[in-house]
Amino acid sequence: MALTDEVKRYLPDGIAARLKYPKLADFERPNVITTTADLVFNWARSHSVFPFQYGLACCAIEMLSSGFARYDIARYGMEVFRPTPRQCDLMIVAGTVNEKMAPVLLRLYEQMAEPKWVISMGACATSGGPFYDGYNVVNGVDKVVPVDVYIPGCPPRPEALFDGMLQLQRKIQQLTFARPEKVEPLYGADAPWHADVIGPQAQFGGRVSKKRLTP
Amino acid sequence: MSLQVGNVRIDADELAARLGRAFAGELMDVAVQEPDTVVARLAREKVKDVARRLHDLDETPIDSLTLISSVDYVTHLECVYHLYSYAANLYVELHVELPRGRPVVATVSDVWPSADWHEREAWDMMGIVFEGHPDPRRILLKDDWIGHPLRKDYVDDVRNHPYV
Repeated sequence: MALTDEVKRYLPDGIAARLKYPKLADFERPNVITTTADLVFNWARSHSVFPFQYGLACCAIEMLSSGFARYDIARYGMEVFRPTPRQCDLMIVAGTVNEKMAPVLLRLYEQMAEPKWVISMGACATSGGPFYDGYNVVNGVDKVVPVDVYIPGCPPRPEALFDGMLQLQRKIQQLTFARPEKVEPLYGADAPWHADVIGPQAQFGGRVSKKRLTP
Repeated sequence: MSLQVGNVRIDADELAARLGRAFAGELMDVAVQEPDTVVARLAREKVKDVARRLHDLDETPIDSLTLISSVDYVTHLECVYHLYSYAANLYVELHVELPRGRPVVATVSDVWPSADWHEREAWDMMGIVFEGHPDPRRILLKDDWIGHPLRKDYVDDVRNHPYV
């Protein structure tokens, strides 16, 4: 469990080191552990990320290969790939996003459980990659959904995917209940694809962002 | 008719000669392009009739359609039917020239069912209209796409890209 400096400030001297690396003797008698809700929740969240089993192109082969025994994603507590977005909180966009897939991707993202994260895996998902000029290619999945971690590579090796996931773990551990991150709505009610893709604006309480509208 | 591949032992020259006789006046410039491929041109009005008769030939029915490709020659479009005869183990290529202004040709999906998706793709990418097609939708691009991107004069429309 990572102890932030903020937490360490309130702990007696020497305790922080023992909390981080407790000795067996510390558990031999009844104990009280004082911690923060943030720490516990973030620790739990960051070590049980459920990725969405969702591949678009060759990056998906690397993603699947990292799930199997040789690279073994289970070492980081992220091995439970779910085939439905409703049981996931991490979408690994592994591959080229094209114009026909983008609304589907957006809908799948909407169906994922909160809080949720997106990893853009590989050159295609990040920027369009080698297909940047393609007539049917969306130049980066961040035009469709908000992305937390970008992984370069074409395709990235499993090690690179793990590095991205560890970055994501670090990002998750920075969340806090006290000062929730201000979440900007993804799109406004007058976005051109909005009516077709998601229907009424009910779930965002009518908040309209002008920032992400198409020109 | 047997399902055994290549049980009619003829070579491409012989098949070309037979096709030339059976479809005199319909198949033009019948020639052997490769050791196993017969190439011919065909007027677009006769596609339906010739396709049915090729498919129902007695000894060497051309019973399989592998691919329909479409080509943009700028002056005109062309539709190429890649056919195969299991009995003769030989290939047939039919080139059908289409005017750019009105690229319409009769569907052959009722003759070779595999033509269904290939014709949808040719419509999607090149804008060739197949009259009588049972399901004339786009197949690769989204349904409201504007234009046919593999045409040489294709200009991308900004309405195709809502995510920018």
